[in-house]
Amino acid sequence: MLELRDVDHRFNGNLALESVSLRVSAGERVVLLGTNGSGKSTLLKILDGLLTPTHGSYRYQGEDISPKRLRERGLNLRFRREVVLLFQNPDAMLFNPTVFDEIAFGPRQLRMPDVEERVRHWAQTVGVAAHLHKPPFSLSGGEKQKVCLAALLAVEPRLLLLDEPTSALDPRSTGWLVDFLAGLRITTITTTHNLSLAPELGRRALVLGENHRLLHDGPIEGLLGNLDLLLAANLAHVHKHRHGAVEHRHWHAHDWQ
Amino acid sequence: MHRANHHQALLLAYAGAILTATLVHEPRHLALGLLLVLILAGRQITRILLRTLRVVLLFNLTVSLGYVLLALLRHISPWDTLILINLRVLTLTCLTFLFIARVNLFQALGFSRTLTWLLVLAYSQALALKQVHEDFRLALVSRTPIRPSLRDRYRASAAAAAWLLDKGLAGAHQTALALRSRGFFDA
Amino acid sequence: MHIPDGFISPQTYLPAYALCAGLWWMGMHRLRARLDEATLPYVAVLTALSFVLMMVALPLPGGTTAHAAGIALLAVSLGVWMAFLAVSMVLAMQALLFGDGGITALAVNALAMGFLGSLSARITWRLLRPLHEGAALWLAGWVSVVLPALAVALVLGLQPVIAQDAAGKPLFFPFGLRVTLPALLMPHALVGVGEGILTWLGYRYLTRLRQRHAT
Repeated sequence: MLELRDVDHRFNGNLALESVSLRVSAGERVVLLGTNGSGKSTLLKILDGLLTPTHGSYRYQGEDISPKRLRERGLNLRFRREVVLLFQNPDAMLFNPTVFDEIAFGPRQLRMPDVEERVRHWAQTVGVAAHLHKPPFSLSGGEKQKVCLAALLAVEPRLLLLDEPTSALDPRSTGWLVDFLAGLRITTITTTHNLSLAPELGRRALVLGENHRLLHDGPIEGLLGNLDLLLAANLAHVHKHRHGAVEHRHWHAHDWQ
Repeated sequence: MHRANHHQALLLAYAGAILTATLVHEPRHLALGLLLVLILAGRQITRILLRTLRVVLLFNLTVSLGYVLLALLRHISPWDTLILINLRVLTLTCLTFLFIARVNLFQALGFSRTLTWLLVLAYSQALALKQVHEDFRLALVSRTPIRPSLRDRYRASAAAAAWLLDKGLAGAHQTALALRSRGFFDA
Repeated sequence: MHIPDGFISPQTYLPAYALCAGLWWMGMHRLRARLDEATLPYVAVLTALSFVLMMVALPLPGGTTAHAAGIALLAVSLGVWMAFLAVSMVLAMQALLFGDGGITALAVNALAMGFLGSLSARITWRLLRPLHEGAALWLAGWVSVVLPALAVALVLGLQPVIAQDAAGKPLFFPFGLRVTLPALLMPHALVGVGEGILTWLGYRYLTRLRQRHAT
C-alpha cells in the first residue's frame, strides 16, 4: 500500500527522522512507538503528504507523494480521500459552526450521496449524536476527538493515521477508543508512547529511537520481550522498589502506575 | 559572565556599525564595508546573502525601478543614487543577518534582567504558538481533497485565531502564577 | 509596512529612537502602576500572541491571503500602553531574531504602528462607542491602519528633503510626498477595511471569552 525509502527529515537543520524505510500492506494495523521528540508526528505528516522528506522517497499505491505532487488535482482528490490523519490536538481540525457541519464537511466536498444519513451514522457510531447541533469548541477534549474521528471516517478512507490519539483521554475514553479502532476494517497507523496500550493498537510495532532512526519493525510480542531495546528507545525505565524489607530493581513502562 | 560581556560588546559594535553605515555617503566606502561584512561572514556567506536578497529584493526593486522612471522624466542620471541606496541597504541588511547568526541576543541583553526575561518568554511562547498555528494550517490541507471555499478558509482561520487568543490569554495567567510561585517578583 | 534598513536617515531614526525610548519607559512605568506583578507575563504573552496572530492568514478570493496587524484590537481591549509595548516587542523580535524589517526603521514603525495606531484606535473607539459599538470598532481598526500609513508616508516622503548631497540628490529614500502619500495611503485605506472587520469580530469574540472565563 505504501512505501518509504531511506527517508530523512530536517527542520531548519534539526534532525527529525533519519534513514527510515518501511512498507505497509493494506489491512495492517501498525503501532508506531517512540518518546516525545523522536519524530513520530513528523513521520505521520510525511505519510499524509503534508511534509516533503528532506531526502528519500514516499510512494502510496505506486504514486510518488509530496506536497508538490499533491498540487495535481486528480491525485490530491484521490489521495486525500483515501488517506486521513487525526491530529494530536483535535482543536486544530475543528472549524465548522456545528458538529453536524464538521462531520459533513468531507462528504460535502466530495459530493457524496446521502450526506445527512452518513453524518448521523458516524455520529451514532462514535457516540456524539446528541451533540450534532452544538459548536465543536463547546465539547470536551474526548468528545472533540470523537467528532474528528467521525469527520475523517465519513469519507470512507482506506488508511487512517492517528497521532497520539490516547494522550489526552481519561481511562474510560481510552478503553472506548481502543475497542473502536479494533473494530475498524481499514489500515491504521497509530503513534503512541504508551507501551501498555501498544498491543491493543496493532500487531506490528515500529519503534523510533531517540536518534530518530527506526530501531524495531516486527511483531509487537517480540518487542515487549526485548528490554534492552525498550530501555534504549526510552519507552521503559528501571527504578527501585521496596517490598517489605527487600529492595530490588525491575523495569516499568513509563505509563504503568 | 565573560560570555555575556562578549555578546554585549558585539551588540554595541553592531549598533556602531549600523550608525556608521548610515553616516557614510561615499559608495566606495560602503562597498568596502559590505566586503568586510561578507569576509566576516566566512562560510555563512551564501546563507547570509540569500537571506538578505529574500528580504530586500521586492522593496528595492520597486524603489529602484520607480526611481529610474522618475529620473527619465526629470532627465537626470539615476545611477549614482541607485548605487548608493542599494549598496547601503545591502550592507546594513547583511550586517544584521551576520549579527543574528553570530550573537546570542538573549545574552547580549543580559544587562537588564527584565528585558532578557521578557524576550525569552515572548520568544518561546511565540515559537510554541507558531507550531500550533502550523498544525491548524496543515489540518485544513489534510482535510480538503478539493480546494476549500473562501468560506471554509475563513472559518478555519477564525478557528485558529480564536484558539490562539484563548490559549494565549490562559497562558499569560498561568505564567504569572508560576512566576509568583517561584518567587520571581520578590527579588 | 516593512521598511528595510537603509531608507531612513540618521537625522530621522535617531530622534525617533529617543522618543521611542521615552515612551517605552513611560509605558512600563504606567503599566506597573496600574496593574500588578502579572504585567510582565501579560506583555510577553501578548507579544507572542500578536506575533503569531499576524501570521494567521486572512483569506482573500483566489487563494491569496492577507495578514492583519491586530493593533486596534489590542488597543481597544487592553489599552494603548499595553498595545504599544506588545507591538514594539513584536517589531523588535521580527527585526533582531528573524531579520524581518529594518533595525533603523524599528523606532519609526513602533511609533507609527504601535503608538499612533493604538492611540488613534483607542480614541476613535472611546468617542464613538456611545453612538454605535460595531461602527466604533470598525472605524478604530481602519484608523489604526491608515494613520500609521500616513505617518510612514510622511517620514519616507520627507527623506529626500532631510538628507540630500551637495547636488541635491537623495541619500536615502528617493521619493517625495507626491509619490509616498498615494502609494501608501491608497492600499492601506483598503487594508483598513479588512482590519476594521477583524477588530469588530475579534472584540466580539474576546468579550464572549471573558464571560466564559468569568463564569
